[in-house]
Amino acid sequence: MYNFLLALGQTLIRFTKITGEIVLLLWTVLREFLLPPYEIKNTFKQAMEIGIKSVPVALVTAVFTGMVLALQTVTGFKRFGAESLVGSVVALSMTREMGPVLTGLVVAGRAGAAMAAELGTMRVTEQIDALETLAVKPVKYLVTPRFTSAIFMMPALTILSDFVGILGGYAVAVWLFGMSSVLYWRRAWDNLELSDIYNGLIKAAFFGGAVAIVSCYKGFYTEGGAEGVGKATTGAVVISFMTILISDYFLTAWLFK
Amino acid sequence: MIEITGLTKSFGPNQVLRGVNLTVQTGDSMVVIGGSGSGKSVLIKHIIGLLRPDAGMVLIDGTDISTLKDKELYEIRRKFGMLFQGAALFDSMSVWENVGFALLRSGMREREAKVVAMEKLRLVGLKDVEDKMPSELSGGMRKRVGLARAIAHNPEILLYDEPTTGLDPILADSINELIIRMREKMKVTSVAITHDMHSAYRIADRIAMLFEGRIVLEGTPDEIKNTSNDLVKQFITGSAQGPIKVEGISF
Ligand SMILES: Nc1ncnc2c1ncn2[C@@H]1O[C@H](COP(=O)(O)OP(=O)(O)OP(=O)(O)O)[C@@H](O)[C@H]1O
Ligand SMILES: [Mg+2]
Repeated sequence: MYNFLLALGQTLIRFTKITGEIVLLLWTVLREFLLPPYEIKNTFKQAMEIGIKSVPVALVTAVFTGMVLALQTVTGFKRFGAESLVGSVVALSMTREMGPVLTGLVVAGRAGAAMAAELGTMRVTEQIDALETLAVKPVKYLVTPRFTSAIFMMPALTILSDFVGILGGYAVAVWLFGMSSVLYWRRAWDNLELSDIYNGLIKAAFFGGAVAIVSCYKGFYTEGGAEGVGKATTGAVVISFMTILISDYFLTAWLFK
Repeated sequence: MIEITGLTKSFGPNQVLRGVNLTVQTGDSMVVIGGSGSGKSVLIKHIIGLLRPDAGMVLIDGTDISTLKDKELYEIRRKFGMLFQGAALFDSMSVWENVGFALLRSGMREREAKVVAMEKLRLVGLKDVEDKMPSELSGGMRKRVGLARAIAHNPEILLYDEPTTGLDPILADSINELIIRMREKMKVTSVAITHDMHSAYRIADRIAMLFEGRIVLEGTPDEIKNTSNDLVKQFITGSAQGPIKVEGISF
């Protein structure tokens, strides 16, 4: 019992400490974002890195999600004769939920892991110290561009995913199950509100920021050589996943009243 | 002038520095010697404010660098150039971008920065490497690129963490010469760490030995050579027999 309480207490302290440090890092990132010089070139490069390179994986994920949503709806909703709703189900699921969350997970796995590994390597090989000796603030130079570009690229990727997912649903519903193409689009379009799309994109931006700050935090404070870099990378992905899935519930409750 | 007084630093239970006192006059070249793991790199990192002391002061021209706010700290760092033990080159950038990094950051145009970078690379005996990536270089070449990067913005204070380790003897001596030239022509103040006693005698105005977290002896190269201090004697002659025990190795 004593040991259990001790372990619980230590976990709690660790959790509080990490949360505090992440908030502190976030604060520095935001402050450096506002202060000149602005890292425009650097941010652009990171946007490419995060956005463009995640496109293929995000698209494959989205198209298959749309397809499976359509498949499930057609077969499942048939039981109460509502399979004509497939367009609505796919469109609403993609924009409100699947698009942002799955894109977030893809970005966490690709870009988040890369951020942690890159910054972690820079830390253990003293490149971050070297930046400081050259009078460059490492957070400004390394973290701020990653954070801002993730916030902008996530919604961009998500809107692409939403669209491709709906197309995937179309392929299954229309080509496989012979549903009328007009009906699919009508259902998709009529029940979709603009707020579904932009609230989904707000989620996406939040996930992007969360993944970037968590991954950069893990990388920036890496200790212990190559092994430490490995741990930081794994940790970044795991914490990013948890953050996305847990915050998704609360964001949904708050955004989609 | 660099004045270090009562500098203490621990990492957890590991007491690395236990009250270091050391003064380096402006324009002087100080060499710090000491065994592996004795805290030489930790000491040099305190001079440029990469580590904060647990206790004690590090004064750079009268300013305590260990208590500075971010803004002033980054300001004062422009005075410094530092060569890291492992070179610490930015591996996402080409060699010349590494060397010209500080210049590019302070707004110099790419073409001019590249010219300066190539000139500094020539100074450390490198040519035709400017467009290579650091991963394509040998250890000794990386070290020299690190040195070129440290001197690129003409700093007033240079910190060298083992500048000649991993170089062949001839190259090592040309780096020694470069360090001497930096001092004579540019009047830089420097602190160098080395295991290489030959290099220490060549470049030092003064030599200090770090042992068990303190400076045990400090003096001119001649004073060090003729010391009666057993610790220092053992170190400079490189003998396994003496007051310094090598732990874990028995015969
Ligand atoms: N960031 C750090 N965190 C924890 N311990 C550290 C850190 N930096 C150095 N140490 C410890 O401080 C001690 C001194 O290390 P330091 O790198 O200064 O040795 P050194 O004298 O430069 O040795 P070498 O000649 O091998 O380079 C070592 O025991 C090392 O483990
Ligand atoms: Mg060292």
